[in-house]
Amino acid sequence: MVKEYFKPASVDEALELLAAQSSFALAGGTFALAFEARDKPERAVDVGGILPRTIVRKGAGLYVGAGATFQELIESPVVPDVLKDAARMMVNRNTRNRATVGGNIGANKSCSSLAPILLALGAAVEYQERGKAPATEPLANWIAEPKGLVISVLAPLEAGIQAAALRVSRTACDVATATVACAYRLNGGMITGLKLAVGGFSAHAQQRQDIAALFEGKALPAKNDAEQAVRDLLVARDDQRGSADYKKLRGAALIADALHSAKDIV
Amino acid sequence: MKVSFYLNSRAVSWDCEPGETLRSALRRKGIISVRDGCDGEGSCGLCAVLLNGRLVNSCQILAPQVEGQKIFTVDWYSKDRKLSIVQRSLIDASCVQCGYCTPAVTLALHELLERSPDPDEDEIRDALSGTLCRCTGYEQFYDAAKMASKRLSDPTYQPPVGPEFKPDLRHVGKDREKVDAAALARGEKAYVEDRVDADACHLQLLMSPHAHAWIKRIDVSKALEMPGVVDIVTHENCPDSVYTTAGQGYPEPSPYDQRMFPRKVRHVGDRVAAVLAETPEQARAAIERIAVEYEVLEPVLSIADAKAPGAPIVHHGDVSYVVGEPPAGSSVKGDGRDDPILYQFPLHADPHRNLAASVADGIGDVERGFAEADVVIERTYVGTRVQCTPMEPHVVYAKVDSGRLVIHASTQVPWHLRRIVARAIGISENKVRVIKERVGGGFGAKQDIVLEDVAGYMAWKTGRPVFFRYDRAMEFMTSRTRHGMEITVKLGAKRDGTLTAMEMKVDADTGPYGQHCLTVPMNAVSKSLPLILCDNARFEVKTYYTNLSPAGAYQGYGAPKGSFALQTALAELASELGIDQLALIEKNRVRSGSRIEILRSLGEGRPGAPVTLGECGLGEMIDRGRKAFSWDKPKPESSDPDWKIGRGAVIIQQGSGLPGLDAANAELRLLTDGTLLMLSGGADLGTGLDTVTAKAAAEIMGLDMEDVTVVSGDTDTTPFDKGAYASSGTYFSGNAAVRAAEDLRDKCFRVASEILGEPVADLAIVPRGIVRGKRGEITLAKLAHMATQGEGHGDLIGMGTFKTEHAAFPYGAHFVEAAVNVRTGEVKLKRFHAYQDCGTPINPALAIGQIYGGVMKAIGHSLYEELLFDEKGAPINLGFTDYKIPSIYEVPEDFHVELVPVEDEIGPFGGKSVSEISLNSAAPAISIAIHDAVGAWCRVWPFTPERVLRAMGKL
Ligand SMILES: Cc1cc2nc3c(=O)[nH]c(=O)nc-3n(C[C@H](O)[C@H](O)[C@H](O)COP(=O)(O)OP(=O)(O)OC[C@H]3O[C@@H](n4cnc5c(N)ncnc54)[C@H](O)[C@@H]3O)c2cc1C
Ligand code: FES
Ligand code: FES
Repeated sequence: MVKEYFKPASVDEALELLAAQSSFALAGGTFALAFEARDKPERAVDVGGILPRTIVRKGAGLYVGAGATFQELIESPVVPDVLKDAARMMVNRNTRNRATVGGNIGANKSCSSLAPILLALGAAVEYQERGKAPATEPLANWIAEPKGLVISVLAPLEAGIQAAALRVSRTACDVATATVACAYRLNGGMITGLKLAVGGFSAHAQQRQDIAALFEGKALPAKNDAEQAVRDLLVARDDQRGSADYKKLRGAALIADALHSAKDIV
Repeated sequence: MKVSFYLNSRAVSWDCEPGETLRSALRRKGIISVRDGCDGEGSCGLCAVLLNGRLVNSCQILAPQVEGQKIFTVDWYSKDRKLSIVQRSLIDASCVQCGYCTPAVTLALHELLERSPDPDEDEIRDALSGTLCRCTGYEQFYDAAKMASKRLSDPTYQPPVGPEFKPDLRHVGKDREKVDAAALARGEKAYVEDRVDADACHLQLLMSPHAHAWIKRIDVSKALEMPGVVDIVTHENCPDSVYTTAGQGYPEPSPYDQRMFPRKVRHVGDRVAAVLAETPEQARAAIERIAVEYEVLEPVLSIADAKAPGAPIVHHGDVSYVVGEPPAGSSVKGDGRDDPILYQFPLHADPHRNLAASVADGIGDVERGFAEADVVIERTYVGTRVQCTPMEPHVVYAKVDSGRLVIHASTQVPWHLRRIVARAIGISENKVRVIKERVGGGFGAKQDIVLEDVAGYMAWKTGRPVFFRYDRAMEFMTSRTRHGMEITVKLGAKRDGTLTAMEMKVDADTGPYGQHCLTVPMNAVSKSLPLILCDNARFEVKTYYTNLSPAGAYQGYGAPKGSFALQTALAELASELGIDQLALIEKNRVRSGSRIEILRSLGEGRPGAPVTLGECGLGEMIDRGRKAFSWDKPKPESSDPDWKIGRGAVIIQQGSGLPGLDAANAELRLLTDGTLLMLSGGADLGTGLDTVTAKAAAEIMGLDMEDVTVVSGDTDTTPFDKGAYASSGTYFSGNAAVRAAEDLRDKCFRVASEILGEPVADLAIVPRGIVRGKRGEITLAKLAHMATQGEGHGDLIGMGTFKTEHAAFPYGAHFVEAAVNVRTGEVKLKRFHAYQDCGTPINPALAIGQIYGGVMKAIGHSLYEELLFDEKGAPINLGFTDYKIPSIYEVPEDFHVELVPVEDEIGPFGGKSVSEISLNSAAPAISIAIHDAVGAWCRVWPFTPERVLRAMGKL
């Protein structure tokens, strides 16, 4: 149960407040209030008013303020379809209206709808730690070692890149069983610069260079070949969404489908 | 802390706790329309509000977060008790069943129309993506949204009139507004949780963490000293009697095997102690201070475990019988420690071998039938545990008033509830009043006395008002699931498809207690075998105790599982014989005039008798489906090689109440202005039963619907009714209302005859409320006035009682077209058509809504839903995040319901039951379609992608 509520006026103040024990950043609250802070006494630090929520093109990239909601991503005229597809994977509109990009990255769940595509696009995270200036690092690094408050996300959107984001779940609104995103160029029919990320096969969404390497420099593989090649590279565990064997098969099929359904992002 | 914001356009400034959710603050301040279906997991959307114009869940927002923001709730749209165009359209499209979700749906559609005044289906789906509804099947929401959209530009827009029946009647067979719909759409006080007084105490349970354990020691002394604690009850100080929680007619065909608090816990979630405290938080804190020492026992976690020689014994108390003798060879002497078991009459049980009940019977010579067959197949089908999941969980408010216990209940069975609670507490029935409030969905789960006994007892003992609401996890853990069943079907047939013998063996798992242990599994047989004509048929039903969650009634009772087994087996047989599956059905199905011999051995709780069927609409229904699906032409091809298309068709049936066992009563009063008060015993769960009884009164008394008010399900003010189960509502309670109206009409004729000086035979009632003779006429208002003004006639009251020996079967033929992904095992429902007979549809659009809702639940059970347990017997998917009921996204692409009425000679205006039957088709039809698509038989539901892949040999 949340016992204290703070509404800081700046990121610096928020970081000070967050330094106290059992504090948490409260953005949309769709994860924090549903699962995390339910039974524990907590100090909620509302970051709603202090994080940017603008979504704009910056050079050959997309800048998304951490306070932007999933629905705002979908409604923005500057967001490429592949990212909108990923945001739409959160099928529940009520949740999309509240859930923020910063909260999604902050929750750092394996089932995140956004993390795989952002990883595949090679996005960077702007974040700030207490007493420090804002810094930027690749999202993959931040996911591996989260720190501070996420301020914004910068996703490169280069011409010629094609990308896809897919997910599978038992019902439309279920937590994802597996998520896959990929981004690559086709150079003379050959896959080049492939980045592939998966969710559902480790504690956090993960970029899989080993899987990407299988297809790099080659023609688009037949779906069946792609599935056979990657199935045993996926590590899964049994749970109520299926057995490990099923998830590996399903993840492999998703990877094959993602490679085949990638579209130009610009 | 102070939170200032705009609520429904007015500035408010409220004192809130920092951690209080917006939902809780709104409810505390009287905005009761924000409901809670998922304990704040964010998955049900019933707590929705508009925040700065966007639909959001108020359970996931802290009140302080809305400082300075604009909030709108449904109350804004209901100002001055008016209805918005969305509310009006939801009512007109028959979308208000239990109504628990209606305020949320209203807001979702308003938000949609605000940004997209002419929405397409994708937009409507998206708008409702976050709102769960367990009643309606979502399909009619599309109609409502489109209707509301049209009314934006043309407020007078009326949709085309839907199918109508009975041209000779004014109301029956025509769509009329559901009598409670407006209040529910406005979000007015209606449910138990809206009746709670400010001084109510809160009850919380300490539940067993073990599936099977003795409570060796329990110490509540520290808990009793905690602030706010009023009282604590455990097995040491609760009433020492056993009873059944099954809300069935007395004497119940279920063992009395449950003590209010058992000495031995028998499932994870079983009752260990109840704490009554001033606040829920205080009750929870006290629970933490109760010390319990358990002696953990090996649990019984499957039917196979329960049957195994030397299996742990779930119930080991003394076994006794009120009537009859124990079955030969059964054990009755207990271990001296466990709670006793009392059977009202023998159910062929042997509890010390975990057998709660059994039955076997048949007709003809089955061995000879199999010997004569050219082909014999034997297959086993497994139906796992599924939860009813009404959006309103179990809830009760009990208090002592004028020396009596008054229970505000969300129940299907007010009178059984009164009887069972009185017994459990040890008081007489005149000391108990049960008031059934609006029920936010029941579906069978609320046929059982799941929490009213303990709440009633604590209110009676302490004199304090007791509020007790299950959270969703408790609902999953300790409400009622459909019995797990393993059904083996053996069929023999000639080469041409003529059946020579049928055998069904049902093994069922009732969980820790035996409520409905005979009747649910028996129903698997009694609602499936009689569809098929075969001279030689046999069945055997055995129900076992296990330490899994309690099973009980669920819409369809045992029929969906029996139907799954038998209909799929018939399709498997057709496949073996190389015959089209519908051709096999056609060859063997019941038809008009058939003599159904098997009913001789399928009496429900009493000896059965063969029935000669009157008219049967199955032929017409099959023909319509055959045509719509171009059954005789090749099935459609998929353009995507990953997806294969398959089709399946099944025939289904149900009953209409329990002939010879149940009864219903109604009373109809003529008020002094000529309007009517219907006092119906019936329990409307959102099904529209009160509308049926109102229609009966309006039709017969020549009045309009608005001239009739229905009060129902109050044990003090309305007459006895068996309750809403076994598809009895329309047939029994509706018929009682018809009889009450006829009785009142006849009384009015007698009085009018004296006043007008004309013979009764010359009188008729004509709209609106006029008794007309050949020479004169008198209004009902005048008649009532004169009758009550000392003219000597007295109050004009009609009484109606209904009981019958007649069995009325509704039938249906349902067709499915599914696409199955050969790489992933995923199943998409492209088409689902339900052709169904409910006799005269009293209110067609409501009947259609019942069918959509029933089918949608069954689709959930067939494809997604399954209560899962860990290796120690603890249920693990205890919320809507993990146990997935269908959302609007799971609705079949082409979802169609068509009524094909065949009037029943006894039913009200020819009506029969409608909703339960709809659950019997999805599992077999989908499994047949999967086979048709990819050649694999799925014999365990739900047909998850993983199970489909395994059936295909890909995993
Ligand atoms: C019904 C429902 C459906 C859902 N479906 C999906 C889905 O399909 N896909 C999906 O990915 N997720 C889903 N979620 C999970 C969750 O809602 C999302 O991850 C969401 O994006 C979280 O955002 P939020 O703004 O609500 O974060 P919050 O709940 O406020 O916070 C989430 C976590 O991130 C931290 N945090 C918040 N902001 C920041 C920040 N700026 N920097 C660092 N840490 C921060 C918080 O302290 C907390 O630990 C669903 C949740 C619900 C209830
Ligand atoms: S109670 Fe808020 S979403 Fe269910
Ligand atoms: S009408 Fe939607 S939950 Fe009952």
